[in-house]
Amino acid sequence: MAEAVIEVKGLAKHYPGKKAVDGVEFEVRKGQVFSLLGPNGAGKTTTVEILEGLRTPTSGTATVLGHDIAKDYRAIRGRVGVLPQEFEPFDRLTPSEAVAYWGRLFNRSLSKEDVRHRIEEVGLTDRAKVQAVKLSGGEKRRLGIAMSLVGDPELLFLDEPTTGLDPKARRDLWALIRRIESEGRTVFLTTHYLDEAEELADDVAIMHKGKIVARGAPQDLVARSGSRTTIILRGAGPEGLNEVTRRGIPATLSDGDVLVRVADPAQMKPILAKLSALEIPLKDMYTKRGTLEDVFLSLIGAKMEEGVLRE
Amino acid sequence: MKRVLVDSLAYGKQFLRSKIGAFFTFIFPLLLILLFGAVFANVGSSTFDLPVQDLDDSGMSHALLAALGNTTVVRISMVSAGTNLQEHIRSNSLSVALQIPAGFERSILLSLAANGTAWANVTVFGDPSRSAYQAVIGVVRAVAEQMNFGLVRARPIVGVDTASVVSAQFQAIDFFVPGIIGITVMTNALYIMTGMCAEYRTRKYFKLLATTTLTKAEWLTSKILWFSMILLVSFFITIAVGIWAWGVHVRIDAISIAFVVVGVILFASMGMVLGSFVKDPESASAVANAIGFPMMFLSGSFWQLEVMPPYLQAVARVFPLTYMNDGLRDIMVLGNVDRGLVNLAIMAVLAAIFFVVGAKAMSWKER
Repeated sequence: MAEAVIEVKGLAKHYPGKKAVDGVEFEVRKGQVFSLLGPNGAGKTTTVEILEGLRTPTSGTATVLGHDIAKDYRAIRGRVGVLPQEFEPFDRLTPSEAVAYWGRLFNRSLSKEDVRHRIEEVGLTDRAKVQAVKLSGGEKRRLGIAMSLVGDPELLFLDEPTTGLDPKARRDLWALIRRIESEGRTVFLTTHYLDEAEELADDVAIMHKGKIVARGAPQDLVARSGSRTTIILRGAGPEGLNEVTRRGIPATLSDGDVLVRVADPAQMKPILAKLSALEIPLKDMYTKRGTLEDVFLSLIGAKMEEGVLRE
Repeated sequence: MKRVLVDSLAYGKQFLRSKIGAFFTFIFPLLLILLFGAVFANVGSSTFDLPVQDLDDSGMSHALLAALGNTTVVRISMVSAGTNLQEHIRSNSLSVALQIPAGFERSILLSLAANGTAWANVTVFGDPSRSAYQAVIGVVRAVAEQMNFGLVRARPIVGVDTASVVSAQFQAIDFFVPGIIGITVMTNALYIMTGMCAEYRTRKYFKLLATTTLTKAEWLTSKILWFSMILLVSFFITIAVGIWAWGVHVRIDAISIAFVVVGVILFASMGMVLGSFVKDPESASAVANAIGFPMMFLSGSFWQLEVMPPYLQAVARVFPLTYMNDGLRDIMVLGNVDRGLVNLAIMAVLAAIFFVVGAKAMSWKER
């Protein structure tokens, strides 16, 4: 097993009348994408900002790259990259200038070629000489990632990196994050997008009301939630439900659709065969894999609204 | 030190690309020196219009008018004898007018004959609140006195010599130059730093910077370095334009340069303190104005503290800009190095206090 780059024990951050982070414990292994997932207000940003050295915890301990964050964060500043939530670049610097400037703040003297390469990496070559105030939201976020990578960090914190971006910009950023992971860097990603965590994360911690309520690889979490795959008989209605249950197949009705949950993958084929033989009117029949949304539904009652977790 | 320079230059690029910053650093002091120069460059050689109604039209009245004309302080214009002089003053919004009464010459001759027991008066009409009125009264009295001496063939025994404490070549505009420099340093360092702190916190730039290896002390030093650099450039440009346009005479030496640098530290630190407590850039602007405007007008930038009532003079002594203006005048105009150094020391102590308080109050971290 790879070494732990982050180890958190009993971490808490309390404000008057609120426990933003309430005794969380987890570790992040080197070279993986770790996602802290949860609805808005779950305590994700507070946790990540403590790990970035931007907030002081009320109690608990945390080590980042082997250093106690409460004692010697300065020793690891140059080894950690951060893209804060709602990142805004300096308006009147161009991406090229911002990357070169940020590099010097990480004690890296970048040549023009280095800067050009780093701008190219995030797909901003055409916008390299434009003042940041004129960049789109996605371009600003990509500039933020270029700046966070400028010190060649071993560990990269990305706090809600795709919030507010259009679908194409999100996909582009995902590709970029995958490439960063492929370079052997560790990525700590906080998000409230389930698809983002499913797409990118090797390891997920689900946070709710300041606590970690579930932890594991996305597929393991889905499996543990008991909802691996669902067969959906669209428009089958109560009549269809009767027909299905009469054949000994457990099913539920949801918005006129009949849902058959298949816990054991080995049962998939025989169940499908039985359902195909049914003579009931329906609009469509298809299968749907279990997702993190199901995990959320079962764990904390959260649901998706326009791709975002809501309680 | 490298990080300080890099941060200073990166900030400098942004500053110069923001037109507001460049305006307050370079255009604002030039506007002030050109405007003040236009108003005050020729103070001391002013000429006042003096309408005169000569109801006597005699040799003596003509002699008096000739003597007044020779002073070059008044420019005489005649008002006809049939005009109601007071009505003429009101309808033409005049500050002052002189009336020589009928029988003026006869009164003088009678007085001479009676050995000084009779009087020959002229009357100065006008608005006492206007400076021209006071100036003309002084001139008319002086000329009348000279005429009296002439008539009785006497010579004045007690005289008054005047001697300037500054070199003879100094002009009124020279006294404004230190005030203009003080205002420029104060507005740039205080206003911009207050706004910058609020903006950096609102836009989370402080958080962003906290994730780098740059320290808070390095960031502060880089800003002070930048402001010192550009305000020294502004200082030299302002004086150069003053010399070119108005022939300003001021001394520039290491102490006057030290005033600019210490002024930057002082006002930037004050800005840091204010910026640490305001919530957003709009509030920052309001707070900086609330402090900066009274300081600008009450610290002797535009007029001497002595013309203000005692309680306002006491208020002025609370404002750091007063010590900068006074100190710069001591050094640049009066050549009083000892007093200048005292003012510089006061500023340095205030700068140290505000710097420590500002650095403690400003937090890059969330609480």
